[in-house]
Amino acid sequence: MSERQRVVVYDKVVKRFGSLTVLDGVDAHVDRGEVVCLIGPSGSGKSTLLRCTNALETVDGGRVIFDGLPMPEAEAERRRVRQRMGMVFQSFELFPHMTAIGNVACGRQTVLGEAREPAEARAIALLQKVGLRDKALSYPNMLSGGQQQRVAIARALAMDPEVMLFDEPTSALDPETVGEVLNTMKQLAEEGMTMIVVTHEMSFARRVGHRVMVFDKGRVIEDGPPKQIFDAPLQVRTREFLSHLGWSG
Amino acid sequence: MNLDWTVAWQHRALLFDGVIVTILLTVLTMAIAVPGGIAIMLMRQSRYAVVRGIGTAYVEFFRNLPLILLVYWAFYVLPLLIDVRVSPFATGLIALSLNVSAYNSETFRAGVNSIRRGQTDAALALGMSRWQMMRQVVLPQALRRVLPVLASTWVSLFKDTSLVSVIAVGDLAHAALQVRSQTFRVLEMLTVMAVIYWCLGYPQAKLVDWIDRKFGVKE
Repeated sequence: MSERQRVVVYDKVVKRFGSLTVLDGVDAHVDRGEVVCLIGPSGSGKSTLLRCTNALETVDGGRVIFDGLPMPEAEAERRRVRQRMGMVFQSFELFPHMTAIGNVACGRQTVLGEAREPAEARAIALLQKVGLRDKALSYPNMLSGGQQQRVAIARALAMDPEVMLFDEPTSALDPETVGEVLNTMKQLAEEGMTMIVVTHEMSFARRVGHRVMVFDKGRVIEDGPPKQIFDAPLQVRTREFLSHLGWSG
Repeated sequence: MNLDWTVAWQHRALLFDGVIVTILLTVLTMAIAVPGGIAIMLMRQSRYAVVRGIGTAYVEFFRNLPLILLVYWAFYVLPLLIDVRVSPFATGLIALSLNVSAYNSETFRAGVNSIRRGQTDAALALGMSRWQMMRQVVLPQALRRVLPVLASTWVSLFKDTSLVSVIAVGDLAHAALQVRSQTFRVLEMLTVMAVIYWCLGYPQAKLVDWIDRKFGVKE
């Protein structure tokens, strides 16, 4: 593939909550196969942009373009766009009344109308992929945070998404289980999955990210390869943010 | 004062039938009022203002009328509105179902509202429709949470079925009061009626306590 293909384009995206402007005209794009990490202080709009990507939030201005087409207005068409994106949440949000395999299979059964057996076969393969095949029959409350998050990744993958959205996937985890989730994500990145990752894990952004976008006050203030962002940031605010985190290059 | 407790035994067949009617009335009312309550709750969550309005009006109307008035109303007015003769049992069942559906819908609404935003986000992010989200993710969790409340509604209902005795449904209260008026054994029959209601109600209340412990929200 000589020419890079734009999968997601943010075109002057504006989002307001009441009088608060959370996204103040974001222009950015994500290419196929790219791993883009969104970093920046809390409240700078990273998670909101992620939620606008699959229309969990509607934009107040500008457009989100997915695979060449602007996000449709009709709810039924939005659903079809959402099916092509997977999302992983900070607090996992596994369905507590379903087993691990039930969680992973339910999207295919409910949304795609697939029969139980092929959906569960697929779920088993995905649980195997995230290293949790032996937990297939466990309910979420029997799993550690890291295990729950890996099941959540499998659940999102079950829909064969073209893009994976991660909203601070390791922020709610005990330190000892952060690694297993990051490794799963790294594996996914190596397989060529397009990923947009809101994260505070700077070492992940540096090692795995192809590109890093720095957010501040609802704008992307810097956008470049991790080497630039972490070693030679162009913006003062980027430097300040990184030094607040204790990042020293 | 001379008491004659044998009247209860002499009329045991009538009292037994009364117990059966009371239990049947409770079971059937709940069988109608659980799906009924869910339906009204869904109406109140509708995106159409008219549907929401109908749902809210229903709840506020039936929740704020005395049940006994509703029973009388169903008995005297229903036959005028629909030109069908309805048995006293069916009339009582309708009145109770209208009332309990209103209460249940509020219970379900509280249960649905207790499901946090992240769960619905996760369902929508998979591409589910609102209806699929409701059926697969929200309702199963909400039902589990409101089970203790539904169970205590059940116990109230069991006792409230006695109100339909005023329209001569042959429930336990009606049977006991009938024996009383035939034999003039007031104290005996009221006591026997109390003992039977208590003996049936107590295990149910204990069951509610157990359900509360087992299914009560712990998160």
